[in-house]
Amino acid sequence: MAKINPSFGKELKKYGAINFNACYNCGNCTAVCSLSTEDVSFPREMVRVSTLGLEDEIQSSLKPWECYYCGECSTHCPQEANPGELMMSLRRYLTAKYDWTGLSGLMYKSLPLTISAFVLSLIGVLYFAFSVNFDLEKMVHWGHLFEMIAIGTVGFVILLPNVARMWWLTILKPGTKVPFKKYVSSIGELIVHMFTQKRALGCDDNQLRWFEHFIMVIGYLSLLFTTVFLNWFSSEYLIVTLFGYLVSTIVFVVTFDFVLSRIKKKKQISKHSQPSDWFFVIWLFLMGLSAFMVRLFIDLDLLESNKWLYLVHLTVLVQWALIIVPFGKWTHFLYRSFAMYFAKLKA
Amino acid sequence: MEESLKSICYDALVIGAGIAGGEAALNLANTGYKVLLVDKELSVGGKMIMLSKVFPTLDCAACITTPKVSEISRHPNITIFTGSEVSNIRKLSDNEFAAKVTKKPRYVHVEDCTACQLCEKACPTSVRDQYQFGLIGRKAAFIPFSICSPKAAAIDIDNCTLCGACERACPTHCIDFTMETETIELHVKTIIVATGFNLFDPNNMPRYGYGKFKNVITAMQMEREIAPTRPYHTILRPGDGKVPDRIAYVLCVGSRDASVGNPICSQICCMYSIKQAQLLMGALPMADVTIYYINIRSFGKGFEEFYQQAKGMGVNFVKGKIGRISEKENGNLILRYEDINKGKLQEAEHDMVILSTGVLPNKGIDGLFENETLYLDEFSFVGQSDKLASPAKTSIGGVFVAGAATGPMDIPDSILSAGAASSEAISYIIQHA
Repeated sequence: MAKINPSFGKELKKYGAINFNACYNCGNCTAVCSLSTEDVSFPREMVRVSTLGLEDEIQSSLKPWECYYCGECSTHCPQEANPGELMMSLRRYLTAKYDWTGLSGLMYKSLPLTISAFVLSLIGVLYFAFSVNFDLEKMVHWGHLFEMIAIGTVGFVILLPNVARMWWLTILKPGTKVPFKKYVSSIGELIVHMFTQKRALGCDDNQLRWFEHFIMVIGYLSLLFTTVFLNWFSSEYLIVTLFGYLVSTIVFVVTFDFVLSRIKKKKQISKHSQPSDWFFVIWLFLMGLSAFMVRLFIDLDLLESNKWLYLVHLTVLVQWALIIVPFGKWTHFLYRSFAMYFAKLKA
Repeated sequence: MEESLKSICYDALVIGAGIAGGEAALNLANTGYKVLLVDKELSVGGKMIMLSKVFPTLDCAACITTPKVSEISRHPNITIFTGSEVSNIRKLSDNEFAAKVTKKPRYVHVEDCTACQLCEKACPTSVRDQYQFGLIGRKAAFIPFSICSPKAAAIDIDNCTLCGACERACPTHCIDFTMETETIELHVKTIIVATGFNLFDPNNMPRYGYGKFKNVITAMQMEREIAPTRPYHTILRPGDGKVPDRIAYVLCVGSRDASVGNPICSQICCMYSIKQAQLLMGALPMADVTIYYINIRSFGKGFEEFYQQAKGMGVNFVKGKIGRISEKENGNLILRYEDINKGKLQEAEHDMVILSTGVLPNKGIDGLFENETLYLDEFSFVGQSDKLASPAKTSIGGVFVAGAATGPMDIPDSILSAGAASSEAISYIIQHA
């Protein structure tokens, strides 16, 4: 027998949920959703369990991740209960619950805390720069080293345990029996969804959104690869240099459009932005742009006289790697693709 | 065009000659007051005269309306202006209102017309018949509908080619193309607003495909298909004339829906849909009828029993609002919904879909008044200054409101409301004599 918890709604509002208590259970949202199926029907079910405050049901559900937010449900909701934004808030809530450190939840719920973390990172970068006497060569060298260490640490200490927690909450805890063979045979699902986000193609809105997101992901991953493994800023190869320019351009051009649509609020999906959404798109934009500028200044031999530019880039990078990637919106890259993998296991 | 100017005096002006306006006018007239009854349509009777039967008694709507309509038409104290509109109402003193009545030309002398329909036969122009809600066509020279009152032809001048065929065919020479718009200056002591309601236009909900999918119709169109004076003389789906087998009702189309700007319940859609379902089961004994609902609101006297009766007859009730409708090549329709009792998304195929459209206010009534303000409520229905104690009173002393002009209501409630408005009006005239 489930115990209801009406005050859960207050908790969920801190994650950005709006007016979902207005739901009168007509099911219109589920019926207009082009991703909803007979076996996996949402979002009304999630609205219902949220209203009742059935946290166990929410935590064991993969449905919030199976929604790719076209916003049709919110557009047509007769009660203006905003089911699309509820699904978005549930994703934030789940991100917080998967995170063993608990920092995700704290930062989602408190803007001052998030800002403090950003300021702290800035101070750290300035302190580091001061300690190496603003020596550009040293800064670039240590900056590059930082990237590698940060990726390894964040990946193994934060993200991997969190995905394991997600696995525990959605597969093990509800008692789903999955034969080992299935884990192996379904692995393709994980890879495909991680790199193509193909499920978003099933959404009802125009597929430009999917395309933009797709090239942005490819651009971002390539930029990561170019800077970290090909050492873009110190590379002598023309092909690496040009490739770096291309992918960093993709990142900042596409994210510029994302930021713009969140400012314009014309589409349902960009009407309600939480601080975590703003940080994610703006920092991605800043990262692409500052990386582009740094390499441009290197090629024009201007960086030595404009060290501040590298410091800006390094600050953005540190904030991105230590705050947004482990505790912010970046994690949806993992959770979304693992959710599709786990859904396949459960099916 | 030169307008003829006349001035006339009455005790009361009733705006709108539907069941509420008609009832109010009759009450006033029977008490001895002179009433002017104005309607913008070519016939009195409003929406009720178009209906098949009434819920929950299943009495014939026309059989209740037509005796009332003929009583109104023949009453010595009632003057009827059809095809006319009221404007520029000014309150001159507590017992005197002035108004302008614009009488549009009918191009037919009503008193001479015998409704022989020869003009209809002669007229070469066909257009969609608004009185059959577009199900069939009519001529530009036409009798509005078979039980209209006054029963006389009219010329639809917007679609008329001025060929003169009707004029030549008319045995009584009652067609007169020289008629002009008349503007009449009116003086009355009291006014009753009985302007009724509008039905939601489902073109505003493209996801239901109305206007695009031929077998998606409105409940008012189905009302015509099952009325005694119906256009097809049987139940057919408009797309291909097939007798439908699996009929679906979609409730709350344009009501209880903030996304289309009308968050309130229309109060009549559940019951008229249940009524139509029962009538359809009688007319097509082999047909399956399914009603997709959010909640069934059977709140009135005898309503719950009526709902249970429909269930007993085999009408399917499915809890779940229809999200989308798509059309198959054969004209059948696929309805997508979440079955709330199962919590699962479902798709169902039907031959014909009826959209139970909601009630909207008849806007623009407040613009009729010049030197006073007629307050509307938050949903643009006529505001009641004292909802509980004197529901017929408006924000203007001497102006009363009857029927669905105040908000969605069914026929018995409209008649009750008209009773309240007419007694308030009578007492107002006496008090301000």
